[in-house]
Amino acid sequence: MIFGTGIIKGMLVTLKAFLASYFKGPHEGGIFTVEYPEKRLAEKERFRNFPFLLYDQTPENLRCVACDICAKECPPKCIYIVRDFDKEGRPLKRPAIFDIDFTVCMNCGICEEACPFDAIFMDHEFEIAGPDRQNKMLYHRDDLLKSNEYFNKIRPTDAGAIDARRREAEEKKKAAAAQAVKAKTTQPQPEPPKT
Amino acid sequence: MAGFLPDWVLVIKSVLISIAAIAFLGPVTMMYLTLLERKVVGRMQNRIGPNRVGKWGLLQPLADGVKMLTKEDIVPTPADPIAHFLAPILIVVPALLVFAVIPFGRGMTAVDLNVGLLFFIAISSTTTLAIFMASWGSRNKFSLLGGMRSVAQMVSYEVPMVLSVVPVILITGSLSTNDIVLAQGGWGGLKWFIFTPWGLLAFIIFYLCGVAECNRSPFDLPEAESEIVAGFHTEYSGMKFALFYMAEFMNSFTISALAATLFLGGWQGPVLPSWLWFFMKTYVLIFIMIWFRGTLPRFRVDQLMNLAWKFLLPLTLINIFVAGFWYFAPNTIVRVLMSAGVLSLSFWGLQKLNQGYAPEKRVYQFGD
Amino acid sequence: MTHLYDIVKFGIYALMAFSVLAAILAVTVRNLFHAALCFAAVLIGIAGVFLSLHADFLAMVQILIYVGAVMTLVIFAIMLTERFGDNSSPQNNSLTLAAFGLAIVSLIAFSTISVKTRWPIQENAGALHLSVGELAYALLNTYVLPFEVISVLLITTLIGAVIIAKKDRVS
Repeated sequence: MIFGTGIIKGMLVTLKAFLASYFKGPHEGGIFTVEYPEKRLAEKERFRNFPFLLYDQTPENLRCVACDICAKECPPKCIYIVRDFDKEGRPLKRPAIFDIDFTVCMNCGICEEACPFDAIFMDHEFEIAGPDRQNKMLYHRDDLLKSNEYFNKIRPTDAGAIDARRREAEEKKKAAAAQAVKAKTTQPQPEPPKT
Repeated sequence: MAGFLPDWVLVIKSVLISIAAIAFLGPVTMMYLTLLERKVVGRMQNRIGPNRVGKWGLLQPLADGVKMLTKEDIVPTPADPIAHFLAPILIVVPALLVFAVIPFGRGMTAVDLNVGLLFFIAISSTTTLAIFMASWGSRNKFSLLGGMRSVAQMVSYEVPMVLSVVPVILITGSLSTNDIVLAQGGWGGLKWFIFTPWGLLAFIIFYLCGVAECNRSPFDLPEAESEIVAGFHTEYSGMKFALFYMAEFMNSFTISALAATLFLGGWQGPVLPSWLWFFMKTYVLIFIMIWFRGTLPRFRVDQLMNLAWKFLLPLTLINIFVAGFWYFAPNTIVRVLMSAGVLSLSFWGLQKLNQGYAPEKRVYQFGD
Repeated sequence: MTHLYDIVKFGIYALMAFSVLAAILAVTVRNLFHAALCFAAVLIGIAGVFLSLHADFLAMVQILIYVGAVMTLVIFAIMLTERFGDNSSPQNNSLTLAAFGLAIVSLIAFSTISVKTRWPIQENAGALHLSVGELAYALLNTYVLPFEVISVLLITTLIGAVIIAKKDRVS
């Protein structure tokens, strides 16, 4: 063993990496950098970023019922919801204001998990940087709305499962309602309990 | 022109031209060395390196320069204002001065001093003063630690560096860099000193000490960022910081250039023009420096000192004697065999003497 | 060429003035750190004077030994001294007057010696360049005794330093 053999061995390793960066592909020891704005990696389905609000068919038909659960669960408290009322002052099942402050949101996805109405989901959109942090980063209800088709496109597995579950529930409800109607018409009224 | 202007203006003009050429070459070299270093180290780490500003990132140094110039200049309150201000300026002066004696090509030496080599060594040794001013003037414990390390390291490595050059002076009988290059002109421009046993050893020692002198990795203890923030330039920002970097890169260029001059035949070489040969050799050596940085971890202080004083220094002393023997030896075969034998034997012996106690098998007291 | 000579002459005088100024500063400045830097400036200025006298080798050795090595020693001494930057610590002692007198006496002595001595002056002094061979011949033949005496002195210092360092480790 002579002084310096270890150093030469180590230097050959880096030389190999240096040469491989010119002559070899990304999976043979070459450069595996993807130069982002021009090229991008394929999006992963379970990737999550800021939340969005889901609507069926038309934007008026959003699933959110302003139950305020997500706002209560949100750890950094970035969601602000105000319930809508009709002209007589009765509460409606939709939000008048639904704001998310994206400067505060930490992309945890707890709102999605907490939502019992499948109304809020985590998005894949991440290029939302802008020069105005005071106004542009506060997203209002209409900025947050996205269609169910979009959700199906970015997260087909989750969306398919949720849609199937919802359809099933719908059918069950319909069947139950039909059952109830049928029972009401055919069967006699149950006798009043004896005292 | 000669009849038009008085003589003294002509003299001053010729002086100013070489000064301007060097003052231009130094910073430009430094700018593109930063790019080269980032590119090469990036490639070694499977990255691409800067490639956004201009084609292949060629304008990146300009962007960095603009950034450095427009940054805020911060001077700590307890700092010594004079020393803190002067140090970055003074550190560039020796780095630029040594360009004067480097032979860039046939007849392309700015000043052909007859003590050129000594000039180089003497001027580059004054860098310690500027580093000391920076480290003490900052009034910062990290700066001071870095400065002390730097001064200790430079003083230690200057000794084997100067001694490794002695065989070259011994054989050529001149201190002028031009004469040293001319002495390597045989064999069609390939009779370089590195092809002799003593020349090879002296080249390796000189190059290692040169790397240590410019505080480059793996000898970058004075600016070890994982231990002492940034060493002597901890308290510098903006253009002052850039000046430290400029000095460091210009030093690495001049050290590589001098190593090429002394041992690789300078601008000597067949077929290609002389300046091209010179720059090729220099850039190969710079590439090796960057390669070192991409490969080797930092030394410990005691390892650093042991290498200089216990290994390189005795080896250079033996090398001087071998070169003397080479000068007087009767025929080629005898001198090649004898000097190669003596040098490899002493290399082996010094290595054996330097080996510390290393147990065959590690014994762990608590771990299994 | 007269203008060129004037320029060079002005440069040499400026260099000398710089050295003298730095020397005065080196002994009067209160801050020891600044004094050391001024001392380095003096040494560089003297090297410049040597250069202007065509003593290239001497000038380079001056820079290499004094600025490169001796100043580094001074620097280390300063770095390892406690509270040197403190303005309360005295910068001079009771021997100031005696030192001043000694300096005056030695100044007179040296100047009389250098004026009285007959220096051999060569006509083509400007073109004279000492080669390394001649220098080696002078050191190892003509002046071999002082050379050897100095090397013995240096070896003694070296061994002394090693002994002091060793003793420290044992205790």
